[in-house]
Amino acid sequence: MIGNDIVDLALARKESNWKRDRFLDKIFTVKEQLLIANAENTEIMIWNLWSRKEAAYKIYNRETGIRGFFPLQLECFYENATLGTVSIKGKTYFTQSKIENDSIYTIAVVEKEYFKKIKSINPAVEILKKNRIPFTIDCNSKIEKPVSISHHGRFWEGITVLD
Amino acid sequence: MNKEQTIEELKNIVKPYIQNQEAFDGLTEDTDFINDLKINSANLVDVILDIEEKYDIVIDNEAMERMVNVKAAMEIIETKLSEKNS
Repeated sequence: MIGNDIVDLALARKESNWKRDRFLDKIFTVKEQLLIANAENTEIMIWNLWSRKEAAYKIYNRETGIRGFFPLQLECFYENATLGTVSIKGKTYFTQSKIENDSIYTIAVVEKEYFKKIKSINPAVEILKKNRIPFTIDCNSKIEKPVSISHHGRFWEGITVLD
Repeated sequence: MNKEQTIEELKNIVKPYIQNQEAFDGLTEDTDFINDLKINSANLVDVILDIEEKYDIVIDNEAMERMVNVKAAMEIIETKLSEKNS
């Protein structure tokens, strides 16, 4: 199980006003808001944590079939700008984030070892969906492979796990 | 408050955040905010805050969890308004 999420910071600046009254309260726990308040770069911290929650939600949604909007339940443990975990209802997912080219990109996995097996997929490959969950079909083996896709503004990222 | 009126008001609220005009034009109770209207999930927070401001209600976390389509939003507005007025 994998999940990914990319934030185009230029678009996020345009689309979202995180300074809006109660905006942060709706999506970040008290601990996370403390991280944000103490961050050197507030904006980067906000979207870094947000992309972790989104990537983790994709796994949680696939594992449980639960769909909804509950960002406060997806609690980030922030190790550093790159690493951390996201926990929800006794489940913990590992996250790896990358801040570059005006974007923040997070990959979430169920087991840490999966980070080594993540492979980017070609944007040209056909993405199929079953119950809104994306997958591809390997052209040689004809085996269905779950993928995670994220698109925001100028950026597109698709990943799968190697066998 | 009647249903048609609430749907119209909701349409006005979500309008700035939608990314699928066709789904917006044909909006019904079954329209999904994310899958159909393609509203960015961070903007779902804005939709929720706009609803709170418009109706002067508080959407708690439990209600927020269900806020994924027009029908749920309408039910939440109705419930919170009746709680306020009782």
